[in-house]
Amino acid sequence: MNILDQLYEKAKANPQKVAFPEASNEKMMQAAYETGKDGYIIPVLVGDAAELKQLAAERGYEESVFTIVDIHEEDYKNEVIAKYVALPHTRLKEKALARRMEDPLYYAMVMQAVDEADVTFAGIDNTTGDVLLAGQMIIGLKEGISTVSSIGLCDIPGYEGSEGSLLAVGDSAVCTNPNAEQLASIAISACDTVASLLDWEPRCAMVCYSTLGSGQGELIDKVTEALKIAQEARPDLAIDGEFQLDSAIVPAVAAKKVQRESKVAGKANVVIWPDLNVGNVAVKLIQQFGHANAYGPMLQGFNKVVCDCSRGAPVSEIKGNVVISAVRAAGSKR
Amino acid sequence: MDRKELEAKVIELVAMAYGKDEADITVDTDIKDDLGGTSVMMVGLVSEIENELDAMVPLQIASACKTVGDLIDKIEEEL
Repeated sequence: MNILDQLYEKAKANPQKVAFPEASNEKMMQAAYETGKDGYIIPVLVGDAAELKQLAAERGYEESVFTIVDIHEEDYKNEVIAKYVALPHTRLKEKALARRMEDPLYYAMVMQAVDEADVTFAGIDNTTGDVLLAGQMIIGLKEGISTVSSIGLCDIPGYEGSEGSLLAVGDSAVCTNPNAEQLASIAISACDTVASLLDWEPRCAMVCYSTLGSGQGELIDKVTEALKIAQEARPDLAIDGEFQLDSAIVPAVAAKKVQRESKVAGKANVVIWPDLNVGNVAVKLIQQFGHANAYGPMLQGFNKVVCDCSRGAPVSEIKGNVVISAVRAAGSKR
Repeated sequence: MDRKELEAKVIELVAMAYGKDEADITVDTDIKDDLGGTSVMMVGLVSEIENELDAMVPLQIASACKTVGDLIDKIEEEL
């Protein structure tokens, strides 16, 4: 059973409420319907109820599979707003919030913030920027986290790492040129993401072109500073470095180059790139030469699970990402 | 609200969002060079502008403003 099949099984055992603010989109509604009908999630469609019901009927879907939330229904909207503004540390007040909630993306996130949904899944009609902005404004970032970022999960044929063929890597998609504080946030968020999704004990390596001082320069200084910030902020996590990639994931190389105790060296299951140039190139190398399947990017750093899919994504990919985000949401409740 | 009142209110909101002293901020303050900060702080500022002034300035437009004065111009267009 591959990793995606395992995640589908995990989702089915504890289905989560996933809010779809772009449900009128044909591909999105199909993904919501099929994952809902098969019992992996509880799909909550957020939008114009009359339109959604009509589209569902035209497309041959059983309406009973969906929970449909009408953004024009004032009573429920007011109830959700009242719950939201009563939460600590929220940014928008009633009037501004009500106006934002005319957009289903914001409506869905407000529902999620007050636990009426476990995940908001969007990105097929909205841009990544739209989703990130709504997420930061409504869901907010976790305490101590300074940036939104992402990780991807690579399933690499022939790779025999500490989690078999799997390796989590980040950030390859969102935070372009992180400073030390942001890089520390990426590492911390990545550890939390893999723990919630895969039940791994995260072993996180911060990589660059130096292993424990073998190279010098400002590019390395940023990584060592980030490492210090991350270790101080979360001493409960195994985050170590600075390592070259081989020192991070190959036990024989680690034995030679890392002459001190490390829970991570040679057996990292999470690798954090120093910036997006490295991350983007590295993932494409893994895909092209390692023939890997790369799942994600999974957004992280938010208080709750927010998912942005590619606007060109086929239904099969959307379904996979819906299931992954649902498993993360269930895992983060533990 | 006239321009002077609007300037005073926006400077108050900028100071709050970026954790600065109001007295150190003018309409000529450069948002990136003088205030620094992260995109999260700009999200906070845009939210406060919505709450307090009832003006919805898109984040992309607010982020593109060079000075506090430029931002006030954009808010004025929305009012």
